[in-house]
Amino acid sequence: MSKRTRAAVLLALAALLPAAAAVAATITVLVHETKIRRRPQFYAPAVATARLGQTFSAQGPRDGWYRTAAGYIHASAVTAKKVRLSAGGAVAGDASADEITLAGKGFNEQVESSYAGKHPGANFAAVDAMERRTVSDGALRRFLETGGLLPDGGGK
Amino acid sequence: MRLAALLLAAGLAAGCAGMDAAMRTATSYASSKGLISESQAESLNKSETALRRGSQEISESEEYYIGRAVSAQILARYKPLDDARLNAYLQAVLQTVAGASDRPDTYRGYHVQVLDTDEVNAMSAPGGFVFVTKGLLKRVRSEDELACVLAHEVAHVSKKHGLKTIKASRLTQAFAILGTEAAKSYTPDQVARLTASFAGAIDDVVNDLVTKGYSRDKEYEADRFAAEYARAAGYDPDGLKSFLSRLESEPGAGGLFKTHPSPASRLARLGDLSAPPGYRRSSVRDRRFAAAMRF
Repeated sequence: MSKRTRAAVLLALAALLPAAAAVAATITVLVHETKIRRRPQFYAPAVATARLGQTFSAQGPRDGWYRTAAGYIHASAVTAKKVRLSAGGAVAGDASADEITLAGKGFNEQVESSYAGKHPGANFAAVDAMERRTVSDGALRRFLETGGLLPDGGGK
Repeated sequence: MRLAALLLAAGLAAGCAGMDAAMRTATSYASSKGLISESQAESLNKSETALRRGSQEISESEEYYIGRAVSAQILARYKPLDDARLNAYLQAVLQTVAGASDRPDTYRGYHVQVLDTDEVNAMSAPGGFVFVTKGLLKRVRSEDELACVLAHEVAHVSKKHGLKTIKASRLTQAFAILGTEAAKSYTPDQVARLTASFAGAIDDVVNDLVTKGYSRDKEYEADRFAAEYARAAGYDPDGLKSFLSRLESEPGAGGLFKTHPSPASRLARLGDLSAPPGYRRSSVRDRRFAAAMRF
């Protein structure tokens, strides 16, 4: 192989590297719900909502974001590990170390209810009220925009 | 039974990574020599699996339920301040800095509640429950400072400082209950035992949050990430320094003065903090801060 041919082959391989690095993975949503965004930015407009247990074919993560066909999902909302969905969403006792079990096992609503019964002073009603307090995606964008917190062009 | 304990100890001594293989080899050998029955060997292997699960991370939903119970205990000790405008304003600032953090998503999101006390304090429970006292808010002078205070609490959640205070034995107990079989829901006995582990875990977190405080290292780490998150959200991270300088010049008793390192030592570790590119002061931010702080 001549030097020129070798250089051309190396260049072609180098061009392929980014594609090889962006390996597709199956990710599963671990949180109750999360927004899929148009760009990998927390203030980017939401294009859809992903819910607990939903799976996506994705590339990444890059700078904390997975890229899916629908848009970007933050890595803190998902796992690329194998997920075990047990019957009834309850106990999955013998999952191996690299598998995880989705919501429902261990400390769950049933355990909280039992705990609340034994600790009548614990103020779960105030926690429920606290959880109802949330700022919608649209209202938060207006809050950022009017407060001069979006970078130039970030509001588009 | 003593042999079983020795085998279990041998497995534990081998460490998490090697425990599985070591334990299975040991039980297989003991079974082949007639020292234990096959069913005993299988039972020990299942126990090992259950113990190994204790070293895994707590799931997002379990973290949420731990956070709810810790919050319920905090709200039993402190009266929530019923000020819709103030709480809504803090919620917007919290969601902004949480969104810019490296953990914008928790199981059910981030939520904040102002506590009706003159004690100067801020706390966060696992899963994204954040508490700020009226006494602390009286010492905050701008939205940028407030963002830094809330970002510090987001950092405790993001770095799972609360979960790390839970004694390993609580999780070992809990996972030992779960470790052997699948079921649709727990039996009354399983619920009772899980509740005991759960209550212990809640006590561990509440004790550190309210009484002892996190370790100094965790507080310094939360400061470092608070500055990062605030800056990523478009705020001036120097707000953390101006707030800590005020605490240093106007010291108080109890609250964060008891549970956190001194403001001087925190300031010394922060170093130079620069505002984000394109940062500008905003009269809108000043006005909405002043309007919300009328309490």
